[in-house]
Amino acid sequence: MPALSLKNTLMNKEQIIEALKTIVEPYSEETTALADIDENTDFINDLKINSANLVDIILDIEEKFKIEIDNDSMAKMLNVKATTEIIAEKLEARAGQ
Amino acid sequence: MLGNDIVDLVLAKTQSNWRRKNYLHKIFTAEEQLLITSSENPDEMVWLLWSMKESAYKIYNRKTGIRSFAPKSLKCSIHSNTGQTYGEVNIEDHTYFTKSDIETSYLHTVASAESGNLKSISIAIYTSPDHLFDYKSTKPGSVSHHGQYLALVY
Repeated sequence: MPALSLKNTLMNKEQIIEALKTIVEPYSEETTALADIDENTDFINDLKINSANLVDIILDIEEKFKIEIDNDSMAKMLNVKATTEIIAEKLEARAGQ
Repeated sequence: MLGNDIVDLVLAKTQSNWRRKNYLHKIFTAEEQLLITSSENPDEMVWLLWSMKESAYKIYNRKTGIRSFAPKSLKCSIHSNTGQTYGEVNIEDHTYFTKSDIETSYLHTVASAESGNLKSISIAIYTSPDHLFDYKSTKPGSVSHHGQYLALVY
């Protein structure tokens, strides 16, 4: 059952947030907001990430999770919650293939 | 309604590597990518187009209440590129007119929903540490910070 075994390797929400934290860290100087990162964290308002670096984060996510982020998904990726949901969705779609 | 965006070109050099694989493709349309690759100064063209998009987005965001990261849906065209650069940015059925100044160490764009008032906009640019004052009390139409610069438009 290759599909099932792949599904078991899917990351849960907490694991995705943890991986996301490692990705965004180099682009933010807001140490307190980084330490307290959770679903409600906003990349621009809380982590003060430069919008040109938001592109780097999208590319880092694509590389790390081996997924492709389309333009419509990217449009929503301004906070941890939306980004985590999109990553989980893409991972699931890939596992189901 | 106004929007503006300043790019500290010295900081941009170390902060962003636009030559990274897929970077341009994520944010620029095919036409914009062609402007960059055919430019004599591709670094300058990247940040010129980026600041046009950012300044137009600031108006779009306030006007529609829509918050999104969709740089490719903001489509730039440049009308004149001698001295001051005039252009426009289109998103859905909105058009914003832009005027950019390109200096050695920074690049600044102001955007307006009306083409006629671009010439009458006043622009104030402060360099660190002169930007540490209560600029909000001057009621700027748009505020932009990057690196050592603060840009206000009225």
